[in-house]
Amino acid sequence: MSQYLLEIKNVSKFFSGLTAIDALNLKVKKGQIYGIIGPNGAGKTTLFNCITGIYTPEEGEILWHGKDIKGTAPHKIAGLGILRTFQTIRLFAEMSVAENIMSGRHIKSKQKWYNGIIPTPAYYKDEKYNWGKVGEYMELFGLSEYATTPAGDLSYGVQRKIEMARALAAEPELLILDEPAAGLNENETKELADIIKKVQAMGVTIMMIEHDMDMIMSLCEYMTVINFGAWICDGVAADVQDNPAVIEAYIGSEDEDE
Amino acid sequence: MNKTTIISLGFLLVMGVFPFFADSAWLAVGTTFLVFSVVAFSQDIILGRAGAFHMGHAAFFGLGAYTTAILNTHFGWPILATWAPAVIIPMVVALITTAPIIHLRGDYLLVTTIGINIIFLQVLENDLFGITGGPNGIFGIDVVKIFGYELFEQIHMYFMAFILLGITLFIMKTLDGSKFGRAMFYINKDDVAAQSMGIDLRYYKLYAFAIGAGLAGAAGSMFAVQYSAVSPEAFDVLQSIMFFTIVLVGGSASLPGVLLGTFVMFVLPEIFREFETARYLVFGLAMILTMILRPRGIWPAKFGNIPAFLKKGKK
Ligand SMILES: Nc1ncnc2c1ncn2[C@@H]1O[C@H](COP(=O)(O)OP(=O)(O)O)[C@@H](O)[C@H]1O
Ligand SMILES: [Mg+2]
Repeated sequence: MSQYLLEIKNVSKFFSGLTAIDALNLKVKKGQIYGIIGPNGAGKTTLFNCITGIYTPEEGEILWHGKDIKGTAPHKIAGLGILRTFQTIRLFAEMSVAENIMSGRHIKSKQKWYNGIIPTPAYYKDEKYNWGKVGEYMELFGLSEYATTPAGDLSYGVQRKIEMARALAAEPELLILDEPAAGLNENETKELADIIKKVQAMGVTIMMIEHDMDMIMSLCEYMTVINFGAWICDGVAADVQDNPAVIEAYIGSEDEDE
Repeated sequence: MNKTTIISLGFLLVMGVFPFFADSAWLAVGTTFLVFSVVAFSQDIILGRAGAFHMGHAAFFGLGAYTTAILNTHFGWPILATWAPAVIIPMVVALITTAPIIHLRGDYLLVTTIGINIIFLQVLENDLFGITGGPNGIFGIDVVKIFGYELFEQIHMYFMAFILLGITLFIMKTLDGSKFGRAMFYINKDDVAAQSMGIDLRYYKLYAFAIGAGLAGAAGSMFAVQYSAVSPEAFDVLQSIMFFTIVLVGGSASLPGVLLGTFVMFVLPEIFREFETARYLVFGLAMILTMILRPRGIWPAKFGNIPAFLKKGKK
């Protein structure tokens, strides 16, 4: 068994001529908060899409607990314990907050195939248990008051929290966050950082893309910088911050950066 | 008890006492309403819940009707014995025909399901295997015999259809309160997010088709017994369009909406027989106006049916 939870080995992903990810390598240890940084269009989201099965990389291996999971369907990836949030929030907008978070309990539910039409005592117990769990996660994220509110009616900051609560409700081993602070104000960003630390304390490994440098530097134990899909450098916050190649990558693309 | 349960029980109560105030002609209208409600609800599982653009539902309804008709008249099976096959055969056919196309985008799925319906109708009209009776269909279907009693009166038909609707409502309540029903809604609202939460799109869409086709088949069997005859025109694409439209106009996944749609489409024309030809005009106008004024249906579904203990907070 590998000492790493997740290993990206020489992964490349091409889009009709464009190299979105270029022979990338990185290793995530259990319990880490791992940062992926790089200018816009660097291939960060594409990397996450490769890990979560939305894209299949043309080259390389994605090792999860030492086993290659490249090309595994997205729903099976979730079953393996890898859950994610999206850069552009993807909630079930018309459904209530509680129902949104309940989707995280889907893979944990023990209902049998016939329980869609025939209720059994075990079905009622399972429903009750999982709604109870939803209650816990709403509590944890301070969402209880919005239980019946349609998720789409809420503010950006709250929606980001719902998305995280939903992913966390699936009790993931690895939580992948794609720009969780995007669109949040200062207070909300602080609150989010606290939540992320709390999640780590629960034993969840976290991988995150973020542009908010203060947040990345204070949260992430280790990080990889990419540009044009390729590795620029990796290391702890201090090393990365002072690396001339990183500074150049950011300055070189300053005008396309938000 | 949530609102949907209250509406269901209220509706069952009204329909349960209705026969004691109705003559046999009204009972026949009532029976038709019950049977078509079941078909509309089963369409709603596929379209309103799983969000699959399925416009061939009359084929599954017809498959149930013809299963009962053929097994009874050609093979001498008692009606009771045909019930299980009338449910299972449409289910199996639905699974086989939709499995290869289930991943298709809405518009492609729509065309393919219409194709399924057209082929089904061709099979009926051309009397394939010599058992469908061609364009005339099949006559002389038996009544239900149970414990030596013959259930031939209109009131018997009515209560059989009533029980079927009760079972349908119970199944839908179970579905909506299960991970299966929720998975269908998640897929419907955002399939990428649903997959990322571990939901197998294929499995749950096929699940919806299987349950929907099975219920439509049961309604078909009831329909065949009620009229003691079946013929192809009751199961053509226009009927499928009607079921599809009832759901969208009434309100996807909305129990009162679907009932309202069924009532307007299948009961009003029966009441105003002389205006029967006008029904498509009325319904056509209703379709256009609803989509412009109330794109989510006349009586849109409401989400937020969560257990009471989670509702503590303010709204
Ligand atoms: N589905 C796709 N088809 C074609 N090109 C894509 C697709 N997804 C991403 N890209 C391209 O890949 C590159 C990396 O994009 P992305 O991973 O979204 O960047 P980041 O998240 O780092 O801002 C960009 O040039 C983008 O246009
Ligand atoms: Mg991105």
